[in-house]
Amino acid sequence: MRRLSLRTLGPTLLGILAFLGVLAAIAGRMPLVLLTLVINLLIFAALAYSINFITGLTGYVSFGHVLFMAVGGYGLAYGVGTLHWHPVAGVALGALVSLALALGIGAVTLRFRGVYFAIASQVTALAGFYIVLEIQELGGGQGIVLNVGFEPIAWFYTIWVILAIEVGITYWITHGRLGYGIRSIRADEDAAKTVGVHAAALKLVLFAISGLFAGAAGGVYYWQGSGIFPNEAFSLTFSLIMLAMIVIGGMGTLLGPLFGAVAVYLSSQYFLTVLIGFEFVIIGVLVVVIALFLPEGIVGTLRKYVPELRGLIE
Amino acid sequence: MADFVALFLTDLVLGLLLGCVLAVIAHGLNIIWGVAKVVNVAHGEFIMLGAYGAYFLYLYGGFNPLLSVPIDAAIGLVVGMGFYFGFLYRELRGKESMGLQSELVTLVSTFGLSLVIVNIAQSIWEHPVGILWSPGAAQVGPVPVPFGGLYVAVVSVALIALTDLFLTRTYLGNAIRAYTQDIPATQLMGINPTVVAAVGIGMGFSVTMAGGALLTVWLPTGIDPTKIGILYAPISFVIVVLGGPGKMWGSLVGGLTIGLIINVGQLFLGGSIALATAVAVLTLIPILLFRPEGILR
Repeated sequence: MRRLSLRTLGPTLLGILAFLGVLAAIAGRMPLVLLTLVINLLIFAALAYSINFITGLTGYVSFGHVLFMAVGGYGLAYGVGTLHWHPVAGVALGALVSLALALGIGAVTLRFRGVYFAIASQVTALAGFYIVLEIQELGGGQGIVLNVGFEPIAWFYTIWVILAIEVGITYWITHGRLGYGIRSIRADEDAAKTVGVHAAALKLVLFAISGLFAGAAGGVYYWQGSGIFPNEAFSLTFSLIMLAMIVIGGMGTLLGPLFGAVAVYLSSQYFLTVLIGFEFVIIGVLVVVIALFLPEGIVGTLRKYVPELRGLIE
Repeated sequence: MADFVALFLTDLVLGLLLGCVLAVIAHGLNIIWGVAKVVNVAHGEFIMLGAYGAYFLYLYGGFNPLLSVPIDAAIGLVVGMGFYFGFLYRELRGKESMGLQSELVTLVSTFGLSLVIVNIAQSIWEHPVGILWSPGAAQVGPVPVPFGGLYVAVVSVALIALTDLFLTRTYLGNAIRAYTQDIPATQLMGINPTVVAAVGIGMGFSVTMAGGALLTVWLPTGIDPTKIGILYAPISFVIVVLGGPGKMWGSLVGGLTIGLIINVGQLFLGGSIALATAVAVLTLIPILLFRPEGILR
């Protein structure tokens, strides 16, 4: 086991940590408009890292990731609205329920590959929506309105901690021994199995982590929105935004999800002022162009064409 | 008891009629899947465009949904060929089969396409629009049979039969089937794989858009761009898997199964269409686990 020192940590991780550190230091002094922008950016980044665990690292495209985000939100809403817990405990509840759900769903659907996994994930999200509509404890079709205070600093630090843990785990996976196994699954799953990679267990662990963090990020998102409504919470748009972020940034990389989150979130905020719905048209066009012509995303393309950056970004 | 029997029979008939339309929608996807071995994630959005085609033909030409079927199908053929050259040609060219990487590219790029179409449609057509066409209903014993649904079901089955005839009885159709089985062998027989694949994908899209026109009869609240794709694309995927991808009559078997689960199933689930739909789409998972080749052999 190599000893971890600053030298071996790598510039990308240090860069992300410095970025997060600066944000944490100045969060209290930011003007409210900027702080709200940063909180949402961090929520988007947390969602991007969460889908990166499964789709980015193993190549299993999940179209149903909105399910975990919505379950996280419902966990929060139930914990705060019905059980009268503190919102942070609600976020934890949502994350844990998401984790359990991801373990259950993943144990079955991760057996399917490629197109079949993608379809199965989309179908479970659709079924989740219809089932929630019938659960009166979760507000049925009306959703849940929460009566929580306006606490931007609490939102900021909660999502900050979630994102920091995600970045740490992503680094640990991509740079540890686990990473070799996972990369081999993405390259050729059958070959990986024959050389002794425990593919099924690895995939399930990644899917569970992915569900956990999507749920946590969803919890903070709906804490900030102080309520959850099924039609919006299960909207396929969220799945697409998550996928778009890692496609644009670079799948399976450490820096890609953050780049993608910045690109998608800022462009969505900018174009929102032009015409409602137009921001998604732009993001959709970006996804199509990048998927067809630059399948490695921003990070992969930079590494390919600018050799000087290869040691710096990963 | 007599009430329940009447209710059951009514839902049985409605389920079968709805199943035929769902079958033809999924049939378009089935053809695309069979030819390109990949799923068009934006499938639901092309169903929506087909429905809008029928709506505009109704609005400006007074066409009923049945009459707009051939026009929608013709538009679909052109759209499908455009789709093939835009999204699939680069990935399929010169390959014997699509690898996992190409599959990922196609999944993600068509997912992006669906976002583009949905949001453009939503900003142009803000409110759901409907087609006023109700040719009445016949009373058969205790069961009311809507003529609209009946005509549409007949046209749906006819469309599936027509594609089956085309694929088994014509030279081009046989070439397409050969292409789906073995691309290098097809080329050795002097068949141009690009032309065959483009025609096959175009055919899939024309069936999809014609299906969209037929579906309008079953949309009492109108064509809502935000809802059609989200619901009917996953249902189409499930139907294709139920029947078995690449099997032409599999679409009909899968469609009828899903139609029955939704309409008859809700009777046993406290009248909740939502729960019945959830059950219907979740049948995908046991089928994939225990019978991945589909219901048909």
